[in-house]
Amino acid sequence: MDREVLERFRLGDEAAVKVVYDRFGGPVFALSMSILGDHGLAADATQQTFIKAWRAASTYDAGRSFGPWIYAIARRTAIDLYRKRARVVVSDDVDVVSLPIGLETVWEVFEVRSALDRLPDEERQVIKMSHFDGLTHVEIADRLDIPVGTVKSRSHRAHQRLIEMLKHVEEA
Amino acid sequence: MTTEGSRAQYLASGATEGGESHERLDLIRDVLSADATWAEPPPQVADGLLAALAVEAVPGPGMNHERSGRWALVLAGAGGLVAIAALVLGTMNVIQDEGDNVVAMSGTELEAAALGEAEFGPNEAGWWIRLDVTGLPPAPEGSYYEGWVWSDEGEGVSIGTFHLRGEDMPIVLWSGVPLADYPSIWVTLESEDDGPEASELIVMKGRIPQVPEA
Repeated sequence: MDREVLERFRLGDEAAVKVVYDRFGGPVFALSMSILGDHGLAADATQQTFIKAWRAASTYDAGRSFGPWIYAIARRTAIDLYRKRARVVVSDDVDVVSLPIGLETVWEVFEVRSALDRLPDEERQVIKMSHFDGLTHVEIADRLDIPVGTVKSRSHRAHQRLIEMLKHVEEA
Repeated sequence: MTTEGSRAQYLASGATEGGESHERLDLIRDVLSADATWAEPPPQVADGLLAALAVEAVPGPGMNHERSGRWALVLAGAGGLVAIAALVLGTMNVIQDEGDNVVAMSGTELEAAALGEAEFGPNEAGWWIRLDVTGLPPAPEGSYYEGWVWSDEGEGVSIGTFHLRGEDMPIVLWSGVPLADYPSIWVTLESEDDGPEASELIVMKGRIPQVPEA
């Protein structure tokens, strides 16, 4: 993310907040959904995450990567919401409340979604139809009314980009 | 979807043509097929964020005035914020639309579990403001809560005090200044040993998007 945008975010600039949300709103919501499993709660967690980030923006070092910083805030916010909800429903003992998924998976969801959001729309669409909707290339070509070869080339490029963007996840 | 199922589907789709690395994609295959990964935040989240930050930015005790000034400009320049706030009402727990004269109160980071409403209305003496909140603990002995209305210029007027150490909900407070000029409602935690100025311990905030005529 542009350093100037992050510096303006740090100062509370509205346009910068929008830019930051446009870039990280999806990954933060996906992370929240992976922990909370509920759209309403995930929406609350997402909003709270950006409010907390804004409140804490003066502590953010614009020279460092923004993703891990807001990831840490988002994870903590979603876990807090999950525990509060679980405490009400299940137990008064917060310590017995365990998350529905591992933190490693939460990180992967955040990173994969971040990478997906940076793909060109047509490549992201093919990835979604292939992995999420479970369609074959032939079926995708039929749905999009484009040649199978085009689907394959988009798929190839998209996967290569994902692999490149997610190298650090593999290495972590 | 299982990893094996994803792999079979992936291979069947022909996505590996071109030589992508199975090993690398294996790491994210399940994530790519998960509902959460593709979930889109409702548009009201972005709108609600702006409205909430506008509330946050009203200058008051202990606020960063450089930031407040920027947001005051945002408030002044973006007439759509009132509409934005209205959009938020239906979807976010932070703000609820339960009537023209009811606004949501939300806890700050000091009392994040606090939630509630402030209902208000005019009378011959000024404005009454009735707080109904949950999650706000009783004020410790030697301290108390104080309600305030704040202007966008950073001027605050006390509207009364309470401690929550008994069954004292809802709380009725009073304002002698027009809420149209003092649209932000805050609750602070005060020490009995301190003076009449607002402390920096703001525990709850709310904002009246549009004050009806008295």
